[in-house]
Amino acid sequence: MKRLGYNILGIILALALWELIGRAVGAELFAPPSVVLPEFVALVRQGQIIVELAASLRQMIVGFALACMIGVTVGIAMGRSRICDGLFHPWLSMFVVTSVAALVPIFVLLFGTGFWFRVAIVFVASVWYVMLTVYHGARGVEPRFIDVGHSFGAGPLRSFRSILLPALYPYIMTALRIGLIHAIRAMVVAEMFVILGYGGMIYRAGYQPSTAPLLALLMTLMLVSVGVNEMLRLAGRKLAPWYDEQMGLTKIRLS
Amino acid sequence: MRRTLGIAPLMFGSLIGGFVLWQIAAQGVSNVVFAPPSAVLAHLGRDMASGVLPMALIGSLAHLVIGFALAVIVAVPLGFAIGRSAVVAAMVDPVMSAIYAVPPVALVPFLIIWFGLFFEARVALVFLMAFFEIVVTVTAGARNVDPALLAVGRSFGASRARLVMRVILPASLPFVFTALRVGLVRAINAMITAELFLAAVNLGALMKQQAQRFDMAGLLSIVLLLCLLGLVAQEGLKALETKLLPWHVRRP
Repeated sequence: MKRLGYNILGIILALALWELIGRAVGAELFAPPSVVLPEFVALVRQGQIIVELAASLRQMIVGFALACMIGVTVGIAMGRSRICDGLFHPWLSMFVVTSVAALVPIFVLLFGTGFWFRVAIVFVASVWYVMLTVYHGARGVEPRFIDVGHSFGAGPLRSFRSILLPALYPYIMTALRIGLIHAIRAMVVAEMFVILGYGGMIYRAGYQPSTAPLLALLMTLMLVSVGVNEMLRLAGRKLAPWYDEQMGLTKIRLS
Repeated sequence: MRRTLGIAPLMFGSLIGGFVLWQIAAQGVSNVVFAPPSAVLAHLGRDMASGVLPMALIGSLAHLVIGFALAVIVAVPLGFAIGRSAVVAAMVDPVMSAIYAVPPVALVPFLIIWFGLFFEARVALVFLMAFFEIVVTVTAGARNVDPALLAVGRSFGASRARLVMRVILPASLPFVFTALRVGLVRAINAMITAELFLAAVNLGALMKQQAQRFDMAGLLSIVLLLCLLGLVAQEGLKALETKLLPWHVRRP
């Protein structure tokens, strides 16, 4: 409870600092929250921001869902089979360091600027992070757990469903959270490059005389991202009550 | 040792197999749509020999190095400061995760307003993208120093300064290295992002020209170069870590 108090104090202090800096430099350079908030309310009332964001997120979800399905499957296979590890690991190491922004011009040539372009960019931006996280989880599953299953006569299918998969829940949830951040980043990169959708709105907001609309757009994106992330964290806790304890250090090692 | 040896041929084979598949797949379609690896490598060799690519790369490295160095100088001490105090950590944590959730590219309009379109803005983007990654990782590292180690130090009468120098710092150095590694890869991403989203220069300008000419082989050759740069940076730091921090046993 005490921690929560400090959390809230930190947020209040950050907002106060932002307000002070904003007042000092002016709305043209960095609009203070007292200016951004009315702008935010006005934008939401007007409704276009919600429509654009929903459309962009819909496309992102398709790419992200594909990335999760493939990333989790291949990640588990890599973690449990040396052959799969050998086959996929070099590609994983290569793609995980590849810059998404550099792929954008190529994907524009390949897919145009429509639905599949954005789905593809989101997919390649997030699949490797999902895969890597699940891979580490699958490799680290306590061998004793599997052995106990063996002793009690569990077949491979049963062992997978009742032991391996539950042991991986925390990792899968973390993989989704890391992947989601990368998916949202990729969505914005792709849309800002072709100036369409929500990313396009952000790009155009940069040309307005006040930074308030730009900040309102960024705040909205931030709220969505933090909100979904918290939902995934809660789901992780629900699915695996040992979630927080286990993921404390793992998150850093994987990031 | 045996383990790594056993898997290495498979990895190598997978890479070769992948390139062969790519070559075959690209055979049927025109070079505009998708270039085969042979064309990409030829393009890479040609541009390297003619000096176009090395010149662009050196130009790009300028803002990469400056931005990354600045980020390290600011972020590592800051991460330690945040991580060693539970109160500060609790206060900074929600703000940090909120800022972390904003895609850095979305800050580009700000960078243009504050720093213009050129060198300063590129350095700023590299700085921003590496900065947050490093702070988050170093904070976590400083927070996770084994309390038993600290207790041993205290029982032997170590002063606060000595505790920091002899226990906290060595214990969190592995995290600092992880932070540098992740930060550097992010910085390389930022380097090319800046060149594509601010004024197009160096590698970014090359990519934009090639995109206009539908020169798929050229585009892929730059992506390949960037990918190699990222791999070299990552593996280099890993090798440095094993050399400098022999007490830290890395989990493979």
